[in-house]
Amino acid sequence: MPGVSRRRFLAGGLAGTAVAGLGGTVAPGCSATSGNNDRAASTGGGSASAGARYLPFRGPHQTGITHPANEQGLLAAFRVTADHRNELRDTLRALSTESERLMSGEPYEDRDPAYPPLHTGTVGNPAPPADLSVVVSVGASLFDDRYGLADRKPLGLEKMPFLANDRLDPERSHGDLLLTVTSAHEDVNLFALRQLARATRGTMALHWMLDGYNRRTRADPGEAGKRNLMGFIDGTSNLDPSDEAVMDRYVWVQPDDDEPEWAAGGTYHVVRVIRMLVEFWDRTRLSEQESIIGRRKESGAPLGGGVETDVPDYSADVDGEVTPLDAHIRLANPRTARSEGDLIFRSGLSFSRGFDGDGQLDQGLAFVSFQRRLSQFLNTQARLAGEPLEEYILPEGGGFYFALPGVMDDGRFLGEDLFA
Amino acid sequence: MRRHRIITATALSLALATTGAACGDDDGADVRSFGDCGGSGSASGSASASASASGSASGAATASGSTGSGSDSASCPSGSGSGSGGGSEAGAGSGSGIADDVEGSSTDNPLVADAVAEYQAWVAEQVDLTIAATTTFTDAVRAGDLEGAKAVYAPSRQGWERIEPIAGLVEEIDGAVDARVDDFEGVDDPAFTGWHRLEYLLWEQGTTDGGAPFADQLDADLQTLRTELEAMEIPPAALAVGSAELIEEVSTGKITGEEDRYSGTDLWDFAANVEGAERGFELLEPAIEAEDAALARTIAGLFDELDGQLGAYRDGGGYQPYAALTDEHKTEMQTTLGELSEHLATVAGVLGLEG
Repeated sequence: MPGVSRRRFLAGGLAGTAVAGLGGTVAPGCSATSGNNDRAASTGGGSASAGARYLPFRGPHQTGITHPANEQGLLAAFRVTADHRNELRDTLRALSTESERLMSGEPYEDRDPAYPPLHTGTVGNPAPPADLSVVVSVGASLFDDRYGLADRKPLGLEKMPFLANDRLDPERSHGDLLLTVTSAHEDVNLFALRQLARATRGTMALHWMLDGYNRRTRADPGEAGKRNLMGFIDGTSNLDPSDEAVMDRYVWVQPDDDEPEWAAGGTYHVVRVIRMLVEFWDRTRLSEQESIIGRRKESGAPLGGGVETDVPDYSADVDGEVTPLDAHIRLANPRTARSEGDLIFRSGLSFSRGFDGDGQLDQGLAFVSFQRRLSQFLNTQARLAGEPLEEYILPEGGGFYFALPGVMDDGRFLGEDLFA
Repeated sequence: MRRHRIITATALSLALATTGAACGDDDGADVRSFGDCGGSGSASGSASASASASGSASGAATASGSTGSGSDSASCPSGSGSGSGGGSEAGAGSGSGIADDVEGSSTDNPLVADAVAEYQAWVAEQVDLTIAATTTFTDAVRAGDLEGAKAVYAPSRQGWERIEPIAGLVEEIDGAVDARVDDFEGVDDPAFTGWHRLEYLLWEQGTTDGGAPFADQLDADLQTLRTELEAMEIPPAALAVGSAELIEEVSTGKITGEEDRYSGTDLWDFAANVEGAERGFELLEPAIEAEDAALARTIAGLFDELDGQLGAYRDGGGYQPYAALTDEHKTEMQTTLGELSEHLATVAGVLGLEG
């Protein structure tokens, strides 16, 4: 049969052999099929975090996009080597099968010891509830001539160009497919990555990868509650993921958008791996740091404001006496009628990768944003071109992707409609 | 010698695993057995590692045999078993420990027994072939024929690379003939000998001067290998796992271009590793087919795919230099190798050769 994959996808091949009767270790209702299981699992592996859950895999959108940012995350971009369209389809199915299993905390079968174990064994079996989510996104290159998907490409999706100040390293940029794995614990993420990579070993090769974290130091209502590695509170005045109208307006591709039909419910996914020159930054006067960003470092309040949640009034400051006209937050969001349509949903991760050849710490922010149209990000980025902050940062990787729409019904897999 | 010890130790520990003592070898502990067991396991490991290769393997096997079938889900031998394994010479009649034990399980399956017998003969052929081709190589070195030596360097390694996991069971030989410079503090370490020492001399230093002692030792070491292998019975599990090991070796050493960094002949070794793995698989294929026909087809298909990918780099009787390998093809090979590894890793289980 031409076009039929001769590969045996490990996840798919093993799915039918999942052990029954081990459900006692998973809280009832945490099976991935229940519609609203976003609640605490009362049992599970030993070292569960307080309040940590198994998250639903199924839903109109991929859960991990809007689930409140987890403490640990990793981004792994792959090159897809599937030989043909059907193998790509099988690859996406295998990814969904494994993701659903991981997110729902379904235990792996114990095989005869003559076999390698079916799971890494690093976090117990099943893994403890840890708010684990997997988000599957695809890059523009997946829509080239390999799989006959050129006419299915989301309209705005393109290979991330060099934007202002960029020095993109091809070894750390782009990729056919991006997995975003987040949870409360790094070890759970690494477990999930190993299982996902194993299930797709024959058709996906790692291209670049980044580990990051997102520790919340406080989380009062309306506050971002986390600081980036420049010491500033990051994520203030982000879109509220619980506000469906806002998310529909700014984040989710809508059925009547000028996009391929399959894309509705998905979202443009931007990743910018931005190195911060932290030694240099740490030697910069506080007053200058705050002018560059446009906020007080300690409180997060906008310049001229009192608390983090204060909204700056630029109309009363047209000359930039209070907030410099080229301050980061002012350029990013000038709060004008025109810029109002460009709002994006941000979900970044701080990272540390050791140090570079000059002995400088290699740290920074994996800026991540989701938006209904790529132009929302591009317009924002264009306004930032030439900002004083550029002296302290260096975007060197990442890419533009499209996070696949969610799937509701049992048996359906992420990206299935690409092939419809 | 870490790289090669990994293979050796893995092969050894896998052989041991047939008797339920998966965690015996100290060297292996950092690769395969890490986290599998506590300190008592490594106690036996260091003892067996310090003994002669065949002796240590059988010693530990005998010892662990006494621990029973290792049905404990943790797959770790009990402390007592490990302890007695340490005294390998105390393992009376241990010379055939592995073989007895494994043959005990393999006689249940005549298809596997046939495969092992054929494989054993084939390994002996490959050793002979290696010795013949290597003698041509070492003769050229001794004769001061630089270009002649370079021309026959890669061919001299083919037989060895086909049977590497099995040859690696003779641990001290593996380290002596096939260690890379990374295994030492530097090229001047007197323990750095074998093919890669000569490779360094010929390509990096551009001379045969000073090569004769290394050539002589390589010849002598290969004779020792032949003697040791003749005395060794290949455990069935080592055959099943050997194929998987060869593909792992390609994935972690050959495709990165680090094995033959001076000569750039990595693709020769790559191909020989694949041939060796494929040979092992083909011999076991009837047995695998009987248990899981789809798995046999999948593995055969992946070998075909790999052969096709490598075929693009054939050049006369050999292969193009490593530098010719494009990134795109490397990625394709990586995923093919990766998937092949996943499936080969299940063969021992499918055939019930362990546990």
